[in-house]
Amino acid sequence: MDLVLQLLFTGIGIGAVYALVALGFVLIFRATNVVNFAQGEFSMVAAYLMVVFSVDLGWPYWLSFLIALAGMALLGVIFNLGVYYPLRHRTYLPVIIATIGASILLSNSVLAIYGPQPQVLQGWFDTPGIQLGPVYLDSQYLLIIAVTILLVLFNFWFFEKTLLGKKLQATSQDKEMASLLGISVSTMIMITFIYSAVLGGLAGILVAPVLFVSIQMGSTIALKAFAATIIGGFGDVTGAIIGGLALGVIETFGAAYISVPYKDGFAFLVLIAFLIFRPQGIFGERVAEKA
Amino acid sequence: MKLTRREFSAGLAAGLAAPALLRSAHAQGATIKIGMCAPVTGPAAESGGYAIKGAKLALEAVNKAGGILGKQGELIVEDDQTTNPGIVLAFSKLASQSDIVGFLGSIRSTQVHAMAPDVLKLGKPVMIGGTDPNLTHMGNKWLFRFRPNDSYSGRVIAEYGVSTLGKKKWAVLHSTDAFGTAGGKALTEALQKLGAPPVLDQGYANQSQDFTPVVLAIKQSGADILGSYFTFENDLGIFARQLRQLGVNIPWVGSPSIVNITALKLAGPALYNTYGVADYAEDSSDASKAFGKIYRDATKVAPDNQSAWTYDAVTVLAAAINKAGSTEPEKIRDAILAIKKFPGAEGEYNFDQNGDGLHGYNIVKNDKGKIVFDKHIESND
Amino acid sequence: MSASDNIQVPVPAVRSKPLIIRHLPYFIGAAVLVALAGSMGFDGYVLNILLQATTFSIAVFGLSVVLGLCGQINLAQATFFGFGAYAVGLGTADLHLSFWPCLVGGCMIALIAGAFLGMSTLRLGGHYLAMVTISFQQIVTLVMINAIWLTHGPDGVSNITRPELFQSSQSYLAFCVAVLAIVGYLVWHLPDTKLGRSMRAVRDNELAAGVNGIDVFRTKIYAFGICALLGGLAGGLFAGGFAYVSPDQFSFAESIGFLTMSLLGGVASPVGSVIGTGLLILIPEWLRFLKSVPGLYLAIYGLFVILIIRFMPDGIWGFVSDAFTRWRAHTKAPPVAAALQLKPATSGGDIVLKVTGLTKHFGGLKAVDGVDIAVKRGGVHALIGPNGSGKTTTLNVLSGLYKATAGKIVLDGTDITNMAPHQRTAAGLGRTFQNIRLFRSMTALENVEIGAERPGNTMIGKGEDALTERAMEALTFVGLGNRANELISSFSYGHQRLIEIARALAANPTLLLLDEPAAGLNSTEKLELHELLKRIAAQGLTILIIDHDMTLVSEAAQHITVLNFGRRIADGESMAVLRHPDVVSAYLGSE
Repeated sequence: MDLVLQLLFTGIGIGAVYALVALGFVLIFRATNVVNFAQGEFSMVAAYLMVVFSVDLGWPYWLSFLIALAGMALLGVIFNLGVYYPLRHRTYLPVIIATIGASILLSNSVLAIYGPQPQVLQGWFDTPGIQLGPVYLDSQYLLIIAVTILLVLFNFWFFEKTLLGKKLQATSQDKEMASLLGISVSTMIMITFIYSAVLGGLAGILVAPVLFVSIQMGSTIALKAFAATIIGGFGDVTGAIIGGLALGVIETFGAAYISVPYKDGFAFLVLIAFLIFRPQGIFGERVAEKA
Repeated sequence: MKLTRREFSAGLAAGLAAPALLRSAHAQGATIKIGMCAPVTGPAAESGGYAIKGAKLALEAVNKAGGILGKQGELIVEDDQTTNPGIVLAFSKLASQSDIVGFLGSIRSTQVHAMAPDVLKLGKPVMIGGTDPNLTHMGNKWLFRFRPNDSYSGRVIAEYGVSTLGKKKWAVLHSTDAFGTAGGKALTEALQKLGAPPVLDQGYANQSQDFTPVVLAIKQSGADILGSYFTFENDLGIFARQLRQLGVNIPWVGSPSIVNITALKLAGPALYNTYGVADYAEDSSDASKAFGKIYRDATKVAPDNQSAWTYDAVTVLAAAINKAGSTEPEKIRDAILAIKKFPGAEGEYNFDQNGDGLHGYNIVKNDKGKIVFDKHIESND
Repeated sequence: MSASDNIQVPVPAVRSKPLIIRHLPYFIGAAVLVALAGSMGFDGYVLNILLQATTFSIAVFGLSVVLGLCGQINLAQATFFGFGAYAVGLGTADLHLSFWPCLVGGCMIALIAGAFLGMSTLRLGGHYLAMVTISFQQIVTLVMINAIWLTHGPDGVSNITRPELFQSSQSYLAFCVAVLAIVGYLVWHLPDTKLGRSMRAVRDNELAAGVNGIDVFRTKIYAFGICALLGGLAGGLFAGGFAYVSPDQFSFAESIGFLTMSLLGGVASPVGSVIGTGLLILIPEWLRFLKSVPGLYLAIYGLFVILIIRFMPDGIWGFVSDAFTRWRAHTKAPPVAAALQLKPATSGGDIVLKVTGLTKHFGGLKAVDGVDIAVKRGGVHALIGPNGSGKTTTLNVLSGLYKATAGKIVLDGTDITNMAPHQRTAAGLGRTFQNIRLFRSMTALENVEIGAERPGNTMIGKGEDALTERAMEALTFVGLGNRANELISSFSYGHQRLIEIARALAANPTLLLLDEPAAGLNSTEKLELHELLKRIAAQGLTILIIDHDMTLVSEAAQHITVLNFGRRIADGESMAVLRHPDVVSAYLGSE
């Protein structure tokens, strides 16, 4: 039982990481119908920004944190203008390839500037964790879980209760209709990219103390987050969170009770099984194209 | 006739490989060239930087001492991108420069496997750092190894744990890549020979984000000592922290990565009081100390095996060419194989007929973040 | 969402001289290349580069089929490449088999895996397919690494042998170039075959492809299978060439590499594949001088990927061939055609289409609720009703785009209620769409040819020529025969509608469904349409028309069914129905 509890905590912790990154995927997907393959690199870049300001320059943690997030917002703007916007009238394929190009560009630019050594970033708290009975709770994972919960609430409030959120919703559901209503679609998409870059960055900064800061930290997480997105349902924010958590738990238990080396395979196996046997079960009914 | 055809094709090939050709044409004959494939990009780019530094330092020393056959040595580095196709291309690019007399291959065994057929075809000596025992036992006479192979590291870990630390219930943990699998196998076999078969033999995939299931498996197995083969430092760092957090404090003897500087930096206190086998230990010999000093002076970073083996490889290769008095491959090969009791940074080189230069390991201890030399264990077979 | 903007347009082949003679220059060129590859004294580096480029190109051909022709994404091409490579590797090194059976075996394994993967997931499209292929890729990579008893794990397989005949690297390269030339030839001509046309139709418009008798699902599986097969072939050749394979050569990153190669060169053409592959292998080699800063050249590579996608949407070859086409812009005058014969099948009785109790619910919404329709043979029957009355839904249920919730549809004596769209087309149903659904990357003639290819069309003879003839007849019938070789985009809206009708007519249907054919037409065009309908009806073909345009309906139709709120509110002879009080109030609103 102790074992199960410990695994459950870890699974939820790592799942929350996937969920945070998946959230960024979903937001961009809903707004633009495009899968952003550079989402993982957003996390990586933000973690490096933290290292630059907090470790190298020795600035206060909170200040570095704010600067890093501001940097991510800027990156979101550049990404939109440089990668998505020029291709917005094309099909999803060229855009996917462009985001792949952006991912290669970002990760190798960081490599060129910062060198290949993995870096250490301190966590938010000084205590590494708490022993709660038989279960050890890593403080950084606790923070990640807390932030995830807060983000779910925030997203709910933002998209359902605020005017800006409703505008974003409208844009992602029907661009033509939104522009007829006087919503500037390109502004909404810009905001989406900024928000999703900041979210990705937040995820990167949060996991950096656990997984260290390295060039490939983003891409490994992003692939899982992508799977989580599909399991939870593309185009639904809550779905992404649930998918991420489910994936983390499945993976951890799969590793503990079936096989460690095949750990990375469970996520994808579950995914394929879902897609083949019950696609409508996770996505809801696919509405047929209007003839 | 043959000459003109070759020239013709070279002209055509110039379109494909113009930069390389220009470079080699301009430097023809002035120096003795050594080619080196190193990961400048890709996941192992970090260690690639150390390796290049080590080789360059060795060449500087050689050149100061009179060079190779009276000429200055020159190092030509090609990026192997940390991938197998990458190293095949990098090596064939170097191999096409006919004035390169010897090469430095990779520290990664799969990459050496990938380039091996081309090495055999070319027929020139290649110094390698990959530790898969098979590399020097598959009939390729042009591979010379500058690190002790994994059959030795496995034996040394087992020997140290069982005899010196007196522990018999082993948990063996290894990555599932070529390096980790071969190492884990060697350790398991050595333990069986010592009458202490492991109670847990666990593989993990590289770049895992979480090791909780592994740690819990170790906890449950009742093991009283841990032997490990980790490939990447970030995996090692994550595992070490989780191991300590979940309260596992059994002795731990690891493969060389456990004492590598990046791992020390990442894992911090979680690695205190662990043991590692190290092909390079700064205090193990005078030659090691000497290299340590040169390297620190040049880079301000602590030396490790990534730079030590390339340093030795260049030193030994230059010495062998000088002794052979020729750059003819067969003669270089004979000269390398004839090297005995050669004091290198990695240890004392005694080449056997397979091309293995080293046959033992150092055991070092992590004493509050400082790596302290414990003892050297040499295998005599 | 169609992939058509990424696709360049193939110019239809001229069918005059025999194929072999017309393509002789290609084979001569290929033979010269093979001879060059076999005789020039390349050094090891150039040889390795060329060998890599050649084998990779074949794998990228596969992507040009699945992505370029059929518009489906495959992010696991490296896996299929790996199947071929491991089959040759394990077969020759471990089992000591000869190279050839291993190569064939590898291709088969790849083909089966590809077809299986396709069957399980191709019903979902786009991003789901992308994800499934990524998952498949990851799982296979894990198996390659961990199933050490089979694959030797991460050590990889060494000592792979080549066939006796091609022991030297030089001759092996020549062999690979020869394979490349042959596969390239086949892929180049695939678009002009029936299968190739089906793939293009699926890519341009899945719905229209379905209602024109193309089994969309099966076509996608074929495309996926061919792609996997070529991947396997390429992998087998690669293994023989490099004598060593290991799991990291077949990773996700490599699949992305293949995809980028394909898009860089131009996804629609094998020439593009070769250019893209060559460049993507060479560019990093050229940029090696930037290596003093780690990561710099890959960063530049990433930047170039973005720039090329942005500024050369059809890839490099698309860019070049576009310019070339513009430069020598001309269209070949089409051949003169005979008059179109329509001979609708008459196996059933007097009633061609009998619909009973047809019901379609979307969740709680009853879009169509228990509708009965009986269409008599040989006349024009109209289905009318105000907006939202369920007309188009009815039509979509009839043509199989929606599944009926309840009810029965019998076409000419055959129960088609549960058939897929393409099966209904085979059974004799033809239709057009309210918002025109043509295959936009094709010419008018090619569009109509796809219609003529309907399974069970008794009006065409054997062979390509008969097909073209039938399609020309249909185009001439609607008055556009002289513009047959022009692209869809160069036609006016009204003419596009006529092409859509021609496409349906070429199939010689038993019943023709016209969905608001007059929508968006000006008055002259409406008159022409009316004339056309008369000529069609004169040949005995039954028409079921849906339209708002009362003039058209009242003049053309002998029989009218009126729907409102998903229910039938009137049915009978035209003039009587139009005067029916319920109908009048439905249209004008009751005050």
